[in-house]
Amino acid sequence: MTAQEVRLCGLLLREHFGEVVEKVGTHLLKGGAQNLRTIIHETGISLDLVKKSLCVLVQHGACVFRSGRKGAGSPTEYQTCCDRILRILRYPRYIYTAKTLYGDTGELIIEELLQRGHMTMSGTIKTVADRLTQNMEEGRSMDYSEVSSAFFRLVETHFLQRCPPLAGAEPKDSATPAAPAPPGTPAAPVGVWNMLTHGDEGICWQVNFERFHLHFRDQAIISAVANKLDQTSSEIVRTMLRMSEVTTSPTATCTKPLSANEIFRSLPTSYNIPRPILDQYLTLLIDDPMEFVGKAGESGGGMYVVNMHRALANLARATLESVVQERFGSRSARIFRLLLRKRHLEQKQVEDFAMIPAKEAKDMLYTLLSQNLVQLQEIPKTPDYAPSRTFYLYTVNQLPTARMLLQNCYKTVANLVERRLFESKESKRLLEKSQRIEAILASLQASGAEPEQLTEVEEMITAPEKQQLEALRLHINKLDSAENQVDETIFLLESYINSTASTS
Amino acid sequence: MAGRGGGRGRRMMTFSVEAVGITRGDSLPPSIQQPTPLFPVMEQKPLPLTAGEEEEYLLALKQEFRGAMKSLPCFIQPTAAHRDVERYSDKYHSSEQTEALTDWTPDWKRLPKELRVKKPPRGGVSAAVSRSDKLQSGQKKKKVKEKEEVLLKLETLQKKEEGQSSEDEEEEGEEKKKKQEEEEAEGEEEYDEEEFEEETDYVMSYFDNGEEFGGDSDDNMDEAIY
Repeated sequence: MTAQEVRLCGLLLREHFGEVVEKVGTHLLKGGAQNLRTIIHETGISLDLVKKSLCVLVQHGACVFRSGRKGAGSPTEYQTCCDRILRILRYPRYIYTAKTLYGDTGELIIEELLQRGHMTMSGTIKTVADRLTQNMEEGRSMDYSEVSSAFFRLVETHFLQRCPPLAGAEPKDSATPAAPAPPGTPAAPVGVWNMLTHGDEGICWQVNFERFHLHFRDQAIISAVANKLDQTSSEIVRTMLRMSEVTTSPTATCTKPLSANEIFRSLPTSYNIPRPILDQYLTLLIDDPMEFVGKAGESGGGMYVVNMHRALANLARATLESVVQERFGSRSARIFRLLLRKRHLEQKQVEDFAMIPAKEAKDMLYTLLSQNLVQLQEIPKTPDYAPSRTFYLYTVNQLPTARMLLQNCYKTVANLVERRLFESKESKRLLEKSQRIEAILASLQASGAEPEQLTEVEEMITAPEKQQLEALRLHINKLDSAENQVDETIFLLESYINSTASTS
Repeated sequence: MAGRGGGRGRRMMTFSVEAVGITRGDSLPPSIQQPTPLFPVMEQKPLPLTAGEEEEYLLALKQEFRGAMKSLPCFIQPTAAHRDVERYSDKYHSSEQTEALTDWTPDWKRLPKELRVKKPPRGGVSAAVSRSDKLQSGQKKKKVKEKEEVLLKLETLQKKEEGQSSEDEEEEGEEKKKKQEEEEAEGEEEYDEEEFEEETDYVMSYFDNGEEFGGDSDDNMDEAIY
């Protein structure tokens, strides 16, 4: 848990749960596992508020509790982890993915579950159906069966999962990931949904972030193939990934081998490519230096796999290169790429290979070195490390550099959030005034006022104030959008780092 | 070693100058005299943000989510600062808060027992609020407490004097008043006698003003009067 991560987690907790939860959460993050009395004593917050904050944190999965380490009688200890809180940045992306896959119903289900942490199935379905009914026209109402079928589909594809049972809880019948059979489908008249008769209290469902991350990873690979090669190749890769969705474990290095015949049969019918063309495309994919697809054998017309870990490593490498390019220029990026490929190079060799004059190459190398993107490795010729008799080689290590950039990303997002809070605070008076005027307008319109009254109220905001509000809104939107986009980079780098951790 | 001795006093590096590429005649960049500026000038401007339908939708989702979280019971507000004077609007503000708080009941089976906040019916939230209020007010100076005690005393006294509104109480009050007057009168009389006695130095029983002289002699007529 680095300082940047803790700072970002604190800001996210403050925005979504309030300052009390922020204090308790950051205290837990900095201090490790603690019991209730310690938290109260060290934060100085009252007992009730600390209890409520811990309830909120546990409800949202940010905090886990277990009995104390000192033995059976010691008080329960609470522990928080950064990862779960940092996921909050990605919530809009999860909701949007659910919308693209399962429509508005799926979107609302995921949104409700993200807002509440975890809920029972009946509770979710009721809330979502009510929300949908509100947005529909008069007289129509949402059918509960439609919402519950969307719920079942989400569970079947593992986007939703059951909350893990607590250690020490009564053993319940382990329900399969497929949804438990609802005790009787709802009666024909819509609205008869007596929650008390549905015996699913205690069975809580939560969003399965790992499954969403696998989906994002697949999407990243497919779009990379589409950018590098062409649309048809990306469709082939998409087919391969879809076929191996269920058979591949999340931490696998590559998918199970698929024969070319199977791929040919599973291609979408809109892509009417003949068999030899498919073989040519597959050969192209294998020869590509990005190594998305590999050949695993010759049987069945050729066995092909998608290399997950190598694809992630290449995507992370592309991210690092683009960072260097945007910050230091394309020639520094050339040096960086050279060092990535050739591993260790001397000063002279760098100048020669990169075809950059000596003075400028020196300058760029030192800039990169001072930013810690490039490291210096000493190789002594003699045991006494004399400077005149030592080789000094420049090198780039991809994994540590990726970690460093990831921390930079966290710092960036924290800065963006702070700036946004600062901007809102500066214009607080103006924002409150505009909110009040909107409320007045709304109430006037509801009670049926004349247009002159409405314009009179609208004119209470002067023109320069309107401009100020408009500029403020633009700034805040930009900052918010930037946070979303930095989060995409965070996702790539995190996936890469996690993939190396599982293999090593 | 010889090279290092000869270079004493001039610029010295910890690593070999030639190997890294700095020749003798080269000018090094000027040494830094102060901390780097807070917002250094960027040679390369950053790329603009990608703007599209998807990004806008994500932006809207994010802002709506934030707004929705603020209205949920999960959003815990610190107890409001103690106002010096009770305001009329407090009545409306406090009801908004408590509604959201009491709305949410987590599944207690999934939480450790010690986190359970006991909520007695109705008075629960106000008890919690008052307890936290007490904690806050406990930090206040004692003068406020004394003032409150004095105010309480005055109120009870006032109630005693005024509080009799029904007729029974009025009669009792009259009787009480009479008793009070009698007591006062007795007190006055006693007071007068004592004062009277105290003013003169002579014992009152010595003074005989001759009123009883004639009365005694009428009874005994046998003896002659000289």
